Amino acid sequence: MSLELKPKKWPGAIRTVTLGSGSRRPLTVGGGNGLPLHTFEASFPHRPVLALEITDVPPPRWIDTVRQPWNGVLGQPAAAARRAVDEFGADLVMLHLVGTHPDRGNRSPQEAAADVRAVLDSVPVPLIVKGPGAGPKQNDVLARVAEECQGEGLALHSACQEEYKTLAAVAVAYGHVLVAESPIDMNIAKQLNILLADASMDLRRTLMDPLTGGLGYGLEYTYSVMERIRLAALGGDAMLNSPMICLVGEEAWKAKEVKVSGGVHWELATALALIEAGAEVLVLRHPESLARLHRQLDCWFGGDACR
Amino acid sequence: VPLTGLQVFKLLPNTNCRECGYPTCLAFAMKLAAGKESLAKCPYASPEACAALGAASAPPIRGVTIGRGSRAITVGEETVFFRHEKTFVRRPGLFRVLNPAPNRDALLDSWRSLRIERAGEVFQVDGVAIPESPGSPDLAAAAAERGFPVAILAATLDGASATAERIKDHRPLLVPPAGADLGAYASQAARLKIPLVVSGSDLNALAAGAMDATRAGAADILLEPPGADLRGLHHSLSAIRRGALDRIHPGLGHPVFLRVAAGEFEKAVLGITKFASLLAIEDHGGETWLPLWTLRQNIYTDPQKPLQMQPGVYSIGEPNVNSPLLVTTNFSLTYFIVSTELEATGLACHLAVVDAEGLSVLTAWSAGKFAGDRVAKALRTMQATERVSHRTAIIPGYVSVISGELEDALGDGWRVLVGPQEASDLGPFFRDVWQPAQ
Repeated sequence: MSLELKPKKWPGAIRTVTLGSGSRRPLTVGGGNGLPLHTFEASFPHRPVLALEITDVPPPRWIDTVRQPWNGVLGQPAAAARRAVDEFGADLVMLHLVGTHPDRGNRSPQEAAADVRAVLDSVPVPLIVKGPGAGPKQNDVLARVAEECQGEGLALHSACQEEYKTLAAVAVAYGHVLVAESPIDMNIAKQLNILLADASMDLRRTLMDPLTGGLGYGLEYTYSVMERIRLAALGGDAMLNSPMICLVGEEAWKAKEVKVSGGVHWELATALALIEAGAEVLVLRHPESLARLHRQLDCWFGGDACR
Repeated sequence: VPLTGLQVFKLLPNTNCRECGYPTCLAFAMKLAAGKESLAKCPYASPEACAALGAASAPPIRGVTIGRGSRAITVGEETVFFRHEKTFVRRPGLFRVLNPAPNRDALLDSWRSLRIERAGEVFQVDGVAIPESPGSPDLAAAAAERGFPVAILAATLDGASATAERIKDHRPLLVPPAGADLGAYASQAARLKIPLVVSGSDLNALAAGAMDATRAGAADILLEPPGADLRGLHHSLSAIRRGALDRIHPGLGHPVFLRVAAGEFEKAVLGITKFASLLAIEDHGGETWLPLWTLRQNIYTDPQKPLQMQPGVYSIGEPNVNSPLLVTTNFSLTYFIVSTELEATGLACHLAVVDAEGLSVLTAWSAGKFAGDRVAKALRTMQATERVSHRTAIIPGYVSVISGELEDALGDGWRVLVGPQEASDLGPFFRDVWQPAQ
């Protein structure tokens, strides 16, 4: 009795999205036409990419384990970006403008734009820029950054269902990529993409952030919603087939277990599980997690056997 | 492959005798096909019908039990590829590899007493995997006597047989070395009536090997998937699960066994998420176990039944009678987020977790599980009201509407302070609202 396993074919595929333009070395993600990592039956022209997170001011809530690799450059975005790319080998960088939050320093949009410019001047890779979060400051900061860094193809993080028009407009006007965030909810993710398309946003310039639950803190919800989104996309739903980005480091290092157990393993397990569920852009905090994941991805997509 | 209602109908006598409780054979057939009735209710079902329905309803992946007694573990019996389709049912066993050690009794005792409780589940060492050495029969006996299920990682047939013979009544798992002559091991497993791991250089050889082992009399089989690296392993794991669910080959309908060497943390993560049922893990040092147990907890949680916390008063830091008293629901995610944010504020406090059947705050309130009188009763029952002298309870901002009825129900001069909607705003809330109020 011989064993015959037919490759599974799908009508849909993931959109390709290119991060970085202008002075950036561009990086394209997406394009796969099968279940995540199913390289044995589907084609994946682009592999998942790994970013490291840096901050504009010393990060207020990072624990020592994750601060340690960044000693001397915390809160210095240009120097931290160089370390992330040149020493640690990050594919791209996420600058979190945490210091623009009203409770965290209330830095101005002008200062934020200067920080982004400094990072662009220090490294050639694409840049994700995360604003201070919900609230009026988010738009002020990201709109200013978008305008001052016209044509650089930044990924602006993020727009949500309640507040997307301003950011969609500036992303279109100044040539950036927009991250559409939904609260672990496939219907809202789809709705937001429809709204963005109506706002004349080209979906080839958007990523979806399904909202990451860290290991032990809701990972299973994110994992399953991503699997469902990916199945819908492969089934042909053009409003759910954007590549997905996960802010892994931020969630994994929040767990209280990382203070007693190895934080790198916590981040690594969260990230690998989410790659299996379909993440194409992962934002990490610890260079060791990045190195270990790179090794696995090299093996998966580079064609060389490895451990 | 499950039968359709009409296919089942053709197997029934079509007399519409109603003895099954349904008006017609067709109605009964539809229920049978949906898995909602048992053929035993039809007194006239033919042996052929029983056989056909039995084969169609047999689980696509067999269950296998390793060990005896309270720590025995059953794996397999999975029915889906994606957890959201239904749920994954049998949490994979995470066995710890025990190499010969001078202090083995103390080590085994410490493994046996290890218990970590997290969100309603107890993490423990599920079993012990023993690589063959001259001392392995004694080691295996020491582990089995302590109640651990044992996996025998064989190097030679004679060595493994000696160990297996010694603890055969404890139902150990026999794991032959890679590339071994499976026939001889299968005969041993059949003779001792113990479960066996079958491996193969590729999926074809694996499935054929499982069929051979079955024919040799081995009743309980686990499959060790081929794959030199994570990519190859992921391919095997996915193909075995899909092949089993689609019933492509009967040799694939068994649970999966995986060896994880020291430092192969990523392999363990892949195994837990992607269909491995039993992992023999070499020690990486303590810090790798907690993330693996937690990952298993997440992946094997039934998507229909959220993880719940035990209701009660939880201490954040070392609170006293002047510390704030906050109230929330027993949805584990809500608890984790609130407690993490509370810890980040640096202010010690009491967190009263009220039984709301595992629902989040707003959902619980709209389902009537977080009404003022219900919360008040819970706070009294758990004696939360006796922990503080200030008689102030802080409720989540989303349920500000219950503050009046909660104050009334608590009586006794209690007042209710409405907290923020999001736990991340607790810091500013303590600073701007709580402290000025004290």
